[in-house]
Amino acid sequence: MAPRLTNRQTEDNDAVIPLRFGDDPLLWASWLYYEEGLTQGAIAEQMGVSRPSVNAYLADARSRGIVNIDIAPDMFRTLTISVALRDHFNLQDCLVIPTHGDERSLIDRLGGAGAKVLARNLRSGDTLAVTWGRTVLSMADQISHPGLKDVRVVQATGGTTAQIPWTPEACASHLAKALNARAIPISAPAIVSSAKMREMLVRESVLAEQLGILAEADRIVMGISSLRPESTIHTSGFLEGGMQHSHYQDAVGSLTGRFISARGEPVIGPMHERTIGLGLDQLRAIPQRIAIAGGMDKVAAILAALRGGYVSILVTDIATGRGILNAEGYHDTTQRPTAQPDRALRPRTHVKKLINNPKDAVDETLRGAVLAHEHLIAPVPGSKRAIRAIDGPKPGKVAIVIGGGAGHEPAFWGYVGAGMADAAVVGNTFASPPPDPIIAATRAVDGGAGVLYIYGNFSGDVMNFGMAAEIMEAEGVKVRSIITTDDVASSPRETRSARRGVAGTVFTFKIAGAAAARMLPLETCEALAKHTNARTYTMGLALEPSSLPETRQPSFELGPDDMEIGVGVHGEPGVERRSVELADTCADLLLDRVLEEMPATEGDEVALLVNSLGSIPNSELYIVLRRVRQRLKARGIGVHCSYVGSYYTSLDMVGMSLSVLHLDSEIKSLLEHPCRSVVFSS
Amino acid sequence: MEDFSSRKLIDLFRLIAVRMSDARRELGALDGAIGDADHGNSMAEGFAAIVRAIAADDDRPPAEVMLLAGQSFLSAVGATTGPLYASAMLAAANGLDGKTTVSAADVAGLVPAFADGIAKRGHARPGDKTMMDAWAPAARAVLEAEKAGLAPIVRLSRARAAAIAGRDDTRAMMAAVGRAASLGPRSLGHIDPGAASAVIIIAALHEWLHAQRPPVPEKAQ
Repeated sequence: MAPRLTNRQTEDNDAVIPLRFGDDPLLWASWLYYEEGLTQGAIAEQMGVSRPSVNAYLADARSRGIVNIDIAPDMFRTLTISVALRDHFNLQDCLVIPTHGDERSLIDRLGGAGAKVLARNLRSGDTLAVTWGRTVLSMADQISHPGLKDVRVVQATGGTTAQIPWTPEACASHLAKALNARAIPISAPAIVSSAKMREMLVRESVLAEQLGILAEADRIVMGISSLRPESTIHTSGFLEGGMQHSHYQDAVGSLTGRFISARGEPVIGPMHERTIGLGLDQLRAIPQRIAIAGGMDKVAAILAALRGGYVSILVTDIATGRGILNAEGYHDTTQRPTAQPDRALRPRTHVKKLINNPKDAVDETLRGAVLAHEHLIAPVPGSKRAIRAIDGPKPGKVAIVIGGGAGHEPAFWGYVGAGMADAAVVGNTFASPPPDPIIAATRAVDGGAGVLYIYGNFSGDVMNFGMAAEIMEAEGVKVRSIITTDDVASSPRETRSARRGVAGTVFTFKIAGAAAARMLPLETCEALAKHTNARTYTMGLALEPSSLPETRQPSFELGPDDMEIGVGVHGEPGVERRSVELADTCADLLLDRVLEEMPATEGDEVALLVNSLGSIPNSELYIVLRRVRQRLKARGIGVHCSYVGSYYTSLDMVGMSLSVLHLDSEIKSLLEHPCRSVVFSS
Repeated sequence: MEDFSSRKLIDLFRLIAVRMSDARRELGALDGAIGDADHGNSMAEGFAAIVRAIAADDDRPPAEVMLLAGQSFLSAVGATTGPLYASAMLAAANGLDGKTTVSAADVAGLVPAFADGIAKRGHARPGDKTMMDAWAPAARAVLEAEKAGLAPIVRLSRARAAAIAGRDDTRAMMAAVGRAASLGPRSLGHIDPGAASAVIIIAALHEWLHAQRPPVPEKAQ
C-alpha cells in the first residue's frame, strides 16, 4: 500500500508551509502519520491532543480526501484474485503472490509464501502431515516458527528411492527440523510391488502405528502435481513407471500420490491398491488442507483439486490463479475503465483490406507474384499452389522444396531461384498446404539426387510435408526433411526441438540452396541445413496484431500502449506483454535473449536479419538495426552482413523480428555463394 | 436393422456436411478465441468436398468411399485438420475393407476407428486440449457399450455424451500441441474448436443411425 498525501485545501495557495499544519489538525496528523511515520501516540504527544483524537483525525482525513490510499495495481490484482478464488471454491483462505517478483524462482517464492501461511496456522500440539515435491521442500526450508511445542510432522505417503532432493522423507524431516517437531516417517515405499505386499506391510506394527498418526493429522501441507509429461511427478521417477496409461486417461492431477479427474473425482487404477499413504477420503477429512502450487502447467490439476474439495487454503500466484478462474469462466474485472476520449470514434468493426473475394486472396497473390517475377519463377503445371524456379530441374543436383501457409510473403516463393530453393508450396492463409501440391512440386524439381524439404516447426506443416515425404519415398525419391526451430521465445532452450520456425528459416533456405548448388550430396545438404538452423536465433515483437483476410478481425487484442514480446508469425501471442518501450530498449530486449543462448565469443561473426512482420516502417527497422550493431560492436562480435526489410511477414502485423545467424567459415562461404531469387540475389 | 449400401454412406456424409455447415459460424468463433478463426470454414468446406467427390459414383464399395472421402478432405483442407481426418477415414476404410455393405455396428465402429487414425497421426495425449479430448472418450464409450452388449444406437448415444463431456473439459485445459499451444495459459477457459467439431461428427452419426430405424407401424384405429 502506498499512501499518498494530497493537499486539497492548499491547492490555490502557493505558500504551503509546515506551519500551516497548525491551522489544520487533519493535515498535520496525516503528515506526521503517513509521511513521517510517527505512531499515533507520538503524534498525540506532539500535537497535544489525545490518542483517540489523532485516530479520529486520520479517519476524517481519509474520508475528506486529504489522504488518498492507492493500492499498487499488482497488489490489487492479487487481492481480487484471492478473494474470487476464496469465494468461488469456498476456501478458508487464499494467498496469491505476484507471479514475477524478486530474483527467486516461482517455486521458492511460493515456498516462502506457503511457509508464512503455515506458520500463521500451526499450533502447539498439532499433528501436521506433509507431502513431497519441490515447492513443499522449499517451504520446509524457509519456515521458522520458534516457540511451538509438541508438534508432530508426519509423512503423508511412503517414501521413494528416486534420486531427487525433494523426496517425502526429505520434506518431512526438513520441516520437522525447522519446527523443532517430532518427525514421523512412513517406513515403507509409497508404491509397493503388489496389493498383497501392501496388505502385509500395513499390518506391521511400526507402519500401522505411523499410519495411525497420519490418520490423526490436524493439518496437511501439500503440493499438487500436474500429470503433464513434463511434470515433476514424471521426471522424478516417483511413479516408477507404474502409471499404466489406460487406467489413468482421465487423471489430470495428483495429490498425496493419488489421482483425480478434471472434476476432482478419484481415478482408481491398478496402482491404487499398491499405494501406501493418505487416501483421498482421509485427506478430505483433515480439518485444514493447505495446498501450495503454482505454474501454468498446474492449472488443470489445481482446478481439479479445488473442485474435489481437497483444499481449504490455497497458496498460488497471480497468473495461475487467474488461469484457474478463467478456466471456470470467471473473468478478471480488475481492469479499471480507461478514460474515454472527448469525442469517441465509432468502434471499428473490421480491418481494412485491399482484396477482392477473401477466398481468392491467396491464389490472386500467387498469380501476381508469378507475373511480377516471371523471369525467376513459374507455377508447377496443374497445381495452383506450387511454384518452381524457371530453370530446373538440374540432373544430379539435390532439389530443395520449401513452404508453409500463405500470408508470409515474400516467403516462400521469394526464396526460389538459382542457388536457392527449387520450389515453394503454399497453403491457405496461415495453414499448411496439403500433400498434393508438395508432391507435385517434388516431382517437378527432382533431379535424381534426392529432395530436401525445409519448413518451420508447425504441426500442420510437419504432418502434411511428412505425408508427402512418405509418398515420395514410396515412389523411390529420397526425401530428407529439415524442420526449422529458430524462435527462441516459443520454448525454453532444453526443449529447442519444440520451438517454432520463423524468420531465421530464410538463412537455412539460403545455406541449403548454396550447398545444393555446389552439387553436394543430399546427406551433406541436410547436415548443413541442420547446422544452420541450430545456429540461428530469432525473437520478435509486435506493436499491433495482424488480421486474416477471411475474418478481417485482429487475431489478438493488444492494449493501446502494449506490445507483445516473442510474438509468432501467425499472430500467436508471445511470451510477455508490456508497455511499448523505446526502440533501443526493445532491440536490447531481443538481442539479450539471443545472446543468452548464442555461444559467441569475441571475434566471432554473425549475419543479421531485421525483419518486418508486415506493417512496420522500414525506418524503424533501421533504428533497431543500428542499436543491434552498436551492441554487437561493444561485445566484439563482427557483423558479416545485415538484411533489413520484409523477408518473412505475418500479413499486416506491425512488428519486427531479429534473427542472428552465428557464422562459421563454412556457413559464411555458403552465405556468399551466388544466387538469384526474388529476395536474395548476389 | 438392415445393412446399408454405399449410397447410404454417402447420405451419412451429406448429413455431417450439413451439420458442419450449420455450425460454421459457431466453430469459427470458438477458433477465433484461440486460433485463427478458420476452423468452421475448413471443416464445412472439407466435408462439402467429400460429398462432391463421393456422390459422383455410388457403386464403389464402402471402403473405397471412405478412402476417397479422406483424400478429398485432405486436399481441400491441408493444415492440421486435413491429415488428421484423412488418417481417421483411412483407418475407417481399413475396417470396412472387403465389405459390400455397412452394418449399424460398423457405423458405431466408425468412432473408435476415427479416434484410432487421428491418434496415430496426431500423437496428441489426453489433456492436450485437442480434438482427441472428445474422440478418445467417445471411442472408449463405444467399445465399453459394445462389450456390455448394447445396441449400436446406444453405443453412439453414449459416444455422443462422452464426446460432449470431453469437449467441455477442454475449457480447463491448456493447449499443449497445435497452433493454440503457443497461447499457453491464454487458451484456458476456451473450448477447443477441434473437440467441438468432433462432437458435431459424432452427434451426426448418432442422428443419422437413429433416422434409419424402420418406421414404427401405426396402430389400426
